[in-house]
Amino acid sequence: MKKRGIGLGCSWYGTGYGNGFPDVSSAFVEIHDDGSATVLTGAVDVGQGSNSIFAQIAAEELGLESKDICVYSGDTDATPDSGTTAATRQTYNTGNAVLKAVRQAKSSLLDYAAHEFSCPTSEGIELKEGYIGVKGDPSRCMPLADMVFQARLKGERFISAESSTARSTPVDPETGQGAPYWPYAFGCQMAEVEVNTETGMVRVLKVVAVHDVGKALNPTQVEGQIAGGVTQGIGFALLEELELKEGKINNPALSSYLIPTALDVPSIEALFVEDAECTGPFGAKGLGEPAMLPTVAAIINAIDDAVGVRITSLPATPEKILQGLAEKKEG
Amino acid sequence: MIEIKLVVNDKPYTLEVEPSERLIDALRNRLGLLGTKEGCGEGECGACTVIMDGKTVNSCLVLAAQANGSVITSIEGVGNRRSPHPVQKAFVEVGAVQCGFCTPGMVLSAKNLLDKNSKPSNEEIGIAMSGNLCRCTGYDKILRAVKIAAEEGKE
Amino acid sequence: MKTSVVGSRVVREDAWGKVFGQTKFPADVNLQGQIYAVVIRSPHPHARVLGINSEQAMSLAGVVAVLTAKDVPNNSHGVLFRDQPVLAEYIRMVGDPVAVVGAETEEIARAAAKLVEVEYQVLPAVFDPEEAMMPDALPLHPTLRPTNVLYHMPIRRGNLQEGWAQADVVIEKEYSTQHVDHAFLQPEAVLAHVDERGHMVVQTATQYAHYDRGEIAHALGLRFSQVQVKTLAVGGAFGGREDISLQIMAALMAWNTLRPVKMENTREESFYSHSKRHPMRMHYKTGATKDGKLVALEAKIIGDAGAYSSWSINVLRKSAVHASGPYVIPNVSIDSYAVFTNNPYSGAMRGFGAAQTVLAYESQMDLLAKEIGISPLEIRLRNLFKVGSITATGQVLTGSVPLDQCLAKIAPYLQRGGVSQ
Repeated sequence: MKKRGIGLGCSWYGTGYGNGFPDVSSAFVEIHDDGSATVLTGAVDVGQGSNSIFAQIAAEELGLESKDICVYSGDTDATPDSGTTAATRQTYNTGNAVLKAVRQAKSSLLDYAAHEFSCPTSEGIELKEGYIGVKGDPSRCMPLADMVFQARLKGERFISAESSTARSTPVDPETGQGAPYWPYAFGCQMAEVEVNTETGMVRVLKVVAVHDVGKALNPTQVEGQIAGGVTQGIGFALLEELELKEGKINNPALSSYLIPTALDVPSIEALFVEDAECTGPFGAKGLGEPAMLPTVAAIINAIDDAVGVRITSLPATPEKILQGLAEKKEG
Repeated sequence: MIEIKLVVNDKPYTLEVEPSERLIDALRNRLGLLGTKEGCGEGECGACTVIMDGKTVNSCLVLAAQANGSVITSIEGVGNRRSPHPVQKAFVEVGAVQCGFCTPGMVLSAKNLLDKNSKPSNEEIGIAMSGNLCRCTGYDKILRAVKIAAEEGKE
Repeated sequence: MKTSVVGSRVVREDAWGKVFGQTKFPADVNLQGQIYAVVIRSPHPHARVLGINSEQAMSLAGVVAVLTAKDVPNNSHGVLFRDQPVLAEYIRMVGDPVAVVGAETEEIARAAAKLVEVEYQVLPAVFDPEEAMMPDALPLHPTLRPTNVLYHMPIRRGNLQEGWAQADVVIEKEYSTQHVDHAFLQPEAVLAHVDERGHMVVQTATQYAHYDRGEIAHALGLRFSQVQVKTLAVGGAFGGREDISLQIMAALMAWNTLRPVKMENTREESFYSHSKRHPMRMHYKTGATKDGKLVALEAKIIGDAGAYSSWSINVLRKSAVHASGPYVIPNVSIDSYAVFTNNPYSGAMRGFGAAQTVLAYESQMDLLAKEIGISPLEIRLRNLFKVGSITATGQVLTGSVPLDQCLAKIAPYLQRGGVSQ
């Protein structure tokens, strides 16, 4: 018989190195003579898309498009140390460093422009769609490229180097009291499963994932992180287990260490909550790790909802489920 | 050494290969077609997928000698920046690409599916893509991209 | 704040290169005159290397060098402590590298690796973290810790006895999680060479190029300014590319032979050359009032660190800090331990210690809800963190704490089909 159940899982996750360890990211920025710009940062893009996020941050701040920004990363001869791509820290931490660096380069640009436009303060200057000018005065406006090029002829360059450090304090070693991480990212997921009571097989039919991202800097990438996280969560809950015998791995192959395939993955609805984190770039928090956390709980709780079997040891293999069903019958 | 003749991405080649040489090695090392990736070496992950005589194969499981006389399409033979294949365009636009290591194999599996079946159902797409593992995306956007490419192909 | 580029669905620039197969991962770069290196790894979980005889291997045509521990200027690396050897003389896990063979082709290198004779003195090994914690267990890192307990983090808050006195319902259970591999699609690969400046250049896929640079410089006795680590496309990481895998061995071979050196793991080698997710045993005792308010939590978490410390301290700290779940619990006692064993070493993996405790605290929530007779959603709503809530570590949450908003969004989906009757 096939029985269906629904489960809920919630989670929280403190992002960053934490516990007072200096969590520093850095970036260099150069605004070029044609008004485009380059961002250099040590932060490695491991496939999650951080380079693209940094381009968006820089473009937003300079009134440009993403394609006007060159992001070069992860080369120790050219880029400043920006910490590891882990701890869900690159969008937040290096995002902050990039934003700080762009703002610094921009600030000297605005000062220069204020002088050129005879505007009393640089707050009166805006960058928009590749132009620089005095707010509300179309007569005092020119292509950004012209302004930067003219500045070079006068010996002015708009380059910057900045770093950003996330806040955290060490906990007391005796009591564990302290503020070890900031910010925390929250999330919850619903899983609907179908359990075959004859075979013990669990099929995940649907997952709805709601994650707190502060601000979705790129909704496509947010959805991608969520679907990828949910899928790794499904593997963790149902499939994956390294079999060790006397410390030796019995299944060191993708034919015996099973990860989810396209057929193991249900329809995934990725939703997000935007409650700006005031310390994050444009309000953003990280999402990489949080995206996988609630899945395992949602699935395990859904299995219990479906067949009344409480799995306490991962992964929830068919054998464990059949055993649970048998014990329930006896009990 | 064994002499083989094959057509790769519409170009004819005559190659001298070792008897134990795999097709993936011939493509990568002899022809410099580095878009074909090796992820497991046992035909499980699909990163080395190429289309051989109209069928997708794991090029790590095919001996180069077995490819004698065959017609092969590797990722380098599918679209380019000026004219991307609809599958490639959809993968990029939908956001089906993260680390990208599985992507060439995924694109070839999707292309071959659409070459044979221009209106695949969701289930047919899932089955066609199930031989290609991805650890980043959760497949969601990959499957959507294939669907979109199929719909665009119809128009 | 109104934004135009931020918040929009900008297409990733790198995606195009990836769909055309143009993107270069480390296995896709080569240099004229490169040699290939392969690693000889220990088949034993705990042993001393008594001797390595590479004469036969060296006599094979095309073999360039066989390097062992004595060839490494500073034979250690590690993210928290440098407790991991580049090439081991003392083995703590199956897969510890003992020698690296460089040859003109990969085939020759693999053939030569089989000819290297390694003599081991096999030592008794421990695989169960609770056994490893026993005072009489042989410590695996005596210079680092007198016992196999690498780390203990206690969290104490409120008064547990008062908490149990207030509790109408108490659920006590054991939970456990397994060893998990990152299984990123791209196996580790490196291309190392000494360039025209005399600098050590290492092209690889890593999560942290600057860390790799530091470890390579340390092991080879070079200045940071003499080592360049250049990250090529990274084929997934998920924490599995935090620690050093092949980078130092490739650099060492290149530095010794002055030839470019290529190294590529097979999938099997990959399983042995990066960390694993910590398996954890979690004993949970949670108390709530009949109104569904959490009043007490006692938790003991034991994480199997395996053979090396890697990030274990930080991982088990994260387990402890997150052990309460996102809920207010006034009376808490949590103890989290990281313990050395002779299993493959555990390290960073997506979720980093907070992924395991979710199983325990969220199972407890459902069990409590059932016992009290309220819905899983309701019990969470009655306890969740809000702005101003105090965590088990005494941290006051300020700013963005929108779990209530997340639950409000998911609530309609829990109605459909009906939650447990």
